[in-house]
Amino acid sequence: MATKLPFRLAYRSSIHCPRCLNRRPLHSTASKQAGIAAPPIDLNNLPPPNASNARIIPASPSYFTGLPDSTDKYLSLISLLRRYQTLPTVPPAQAPRVAWRTLIQYRLLVGEPVRASKYHKIIEVLQRLNRIHPSVLPAEVSTAMETYKREVDPYAVQKRPAIIDEDGRAFGVGRRKSSSAKVYLVQGEGEVLVNGKAINNVFGRIHDRESALWALKATGRLDKYNVWALVSGGGVTGQAEAITLGAAKALMVFEPALKPALRRAGCVTRDPRRVERKKPGHVKARKMPTWTKR
Amino acid sequence: MSFQTCWRCVSRASDPALLAYRPAQQSGIVFPASKVLFSTSASSLHDRGAGGAGRARKSTVKDDVPTRGRSRNFIAKKKTGNLDRGKRPAVGERKALRKRIVVSNTNALEVYGMQDITATSIVDESLRGQVLGIPGPVVDQLRAVEAFKVPQSWALFRRPAMLIRRETVDFGKEMEQIEQDKNRSIRRVLVGDRGSGKSLMLLQAMTMAFLKKWVVINIPNAQDIILAQSEYGPLPSTNPPLYTQPTNTAALLSAISRANPILSDLPLSQNTSSQTTLPVPLPPNISLSRLALLGASDPENAYPIFQLLLSELKTPGRPPLMLCLDGLAHIMGDTKYIAPPTYKPIHAHSFTIPKFFLDHLSGSSPLPNGGVVLAATSNSNNPVVPSLNLALAQLEGKEEVRRDPFRKYDERVLGVFNNGRGPVEVQRIGGVGKEEARALMEYWAKSGVCRQRVDEGFVGEKWSLSGGGVVGELERAVVRMRF
Repeated sequence: MATKLPFRLAYRSSIHCPRCLNRRPLHSTASKQAGIAAPPIDLNNLPPPNASNARIIPASPSYFTGLPDSTDKYLSLISLLRRYQTLPTVPPAQAPRVAWRTLIQYRLLVGEPVRASKYHKIIEVLQRLNRIHPSVLPAEVSTAMETYKREVDPYAVQKRPAIIDEDGRAFGVGRRKSSSAKVYLVQGEGEVLVNGKAINNVFGRIHDRESALWALKATGRLDKYNVWALVSGGGVTGQAEAITLGAAKALMVFEPALKPALRRAGCVTRDPRRVERKKPGHVKARKMPTWTKR
Repeated sequence: MSFQTCWRCVSRASDPALLAYRPAQQSGIVFPASKVLFSTSASSLHDRGAGGAGRARKSTVKDDVPTRGRSRNFIAKKKTGNLDRGKRPAVGERKALRKRIVVSNTNALEVYGMQDITATSIVDESLRGQVLGIPGPVVDQLRAVEAFKVPQSWALFRRPAMLIRRETVDFGKEMEQIEQDKNRSIRRVLVGDRGSGKSLMLLQAMTMAFLKKWVVINIPNAQDIILAQSEYGPLPSTNPPLYTQPTNTAALLSAISRANPILSDLPLSQNTSSQTTLPVPLPPNISLSRLALLGASDPENAYPIFQLLLSELKTPGRPPLMLCLDGLAHIMGDTKYIAPPTYKPIHAHSFTIPKFFLDHLSGSSPLPNGGVVLAATSNSNNPVVPSLNLALAQLEGKEEVRRDPFRKYDERVLGVFNNGRGPVEVQRIGGVGKEEARALMEYWAKSGVCRQRVDEGFVGEKWSLSGGGVVGELERAVVRMRF
């Protein structure tokens, strides 16, 4: 049988002992995990010869392992793969992008202290199953894979494309330190309103005004657009620089080709620096109390 | 057994044995009979308080020898001595330096081809957006009425010049109309952002008035007359009392006389012999200029002469009058002056100079020969006067501004603005347009204070940075800012 599995997986999914081969049709469990557990004992048809010696046989062969549920799940995935390993596959790059549950999420799901290495084995099988060509993917496999997918698929979230709205406005959000600015840009003559006030009434320092309008100034667009911004939080400098970022994002909606110029001007990347937290034993974030002899 | 009681702290000596002890009285030292040797109160208190007893504590050399347990650390205090080696500035020198107005700078480049403003060119629409020089005689007149202010950057240029903006041309046209129709008068308050050119608008108005040979009375800074820095006194037979400021009135008369040479051509028309209130005899046919100087020379007579001068200026045939005041909010509340019997601050409206101006602003004193009453508010030196803000906002047409129930409003202030004599106009001075901003920047470039190339991009950038052409901010961004 020509296998398309990597050697490791092929080894795990292959059947080694002849006894297992014979047992295979007998496998059926109460938990509908075919191929794993022993069949339920029908006590009516086959009463035990000596009732006092009768023992309950565990449904799953994993019963005596430390992690019965996750082992069962792993084995069922292996058997699924064994069943469908001959289906055509796509290259890994073309397989649908799936965010599997993280280890911690999986532990919460099964309620067992699964090791990272064990979970990694499950992920390997899942990735192989995911590579089965989507047109021939059996429903059984996709249902099984659903269990392991994250509840919210981060790859399904599509970024809303920035557009110029019907009133000719482009919108951008900028943040810096604790400040956050919503900036609307509209074609105009360079008028600026920040929180409904003229920019000279909001920013007393000319330096702050320049940094607020830096994205437009650096690209020579200051007299082409009107700025209408709402800014809150933080201090004066933070607010000014939040407007810079917001105005740059809004400007890129109008003129996407300006992105490299704006990046050179330092208006594209958000500055992630925040105030460093104060630590116990320190006077400030890093300052230590002054040393005194006694 | 009764113990002797300390006179100071009313405590009693607890140990009767101590009471028996009494040091031998030395000659010349009066030992108080009641002084106890031990008291719970601080002994120094006794020593300090007990007059002659303090001398007993006078330390000798022997006492200064450190004893066991007493700290021997003694850091000698450095004697500072007299370190003042420099020459102290003379009285008033620093203030004079602070208040000095420089309107000319020989280091600045001369702007060739700059026209001067004339009486006829005020209304010329084509001159709008140009920078015109102020003629020399008018500069002297403006200096006399203190129209130039310290924070304005006159010292950067060869000679004073001003931008003819839209408001200037409009104002010139209104002045023309007043000259045509002498019954008209303008009563106006200028409001606007900081640095938008309210005081400059006053200066421009005064320039035009001087050119048109109007009579200008200017109160350059309203704060000066309410700060209680000059003497004051109640005016006799006024109820509620009205107060005068003789020195301030004399200074005002002096400024009027110096700034308005036209007054020397106007003789006194009234028969002053019938005026019993005037404390000095006036020569017949005295010119109004000399009359004002007479009042300026003697502060005691300043106020009656000021009143006489004002009534003279309102007689028919006199030139139109321009009254200007800067810093309106200062005279819209209590002054720093105290009314003697109650020791409460006196309201600014109870002083003759603010009252004179506000009567004309409100229209209760009309200007029969026509004229302009112009008041400018300030945004940098501005006391909070809710009544004034309310009145101005409502006059400006902001219907949404209503009385705040949690604020106290001054009815005297509100009465100035709605007294049934027609509304006071409120004019908002905003930024200049881009063409006007460009003219200003070209003037700066020609004067050598702006080194950049003045092109469209530069003008647009600075115009945006200055909040839409606010002139003061424009100057900060272009002239004052150095990178």
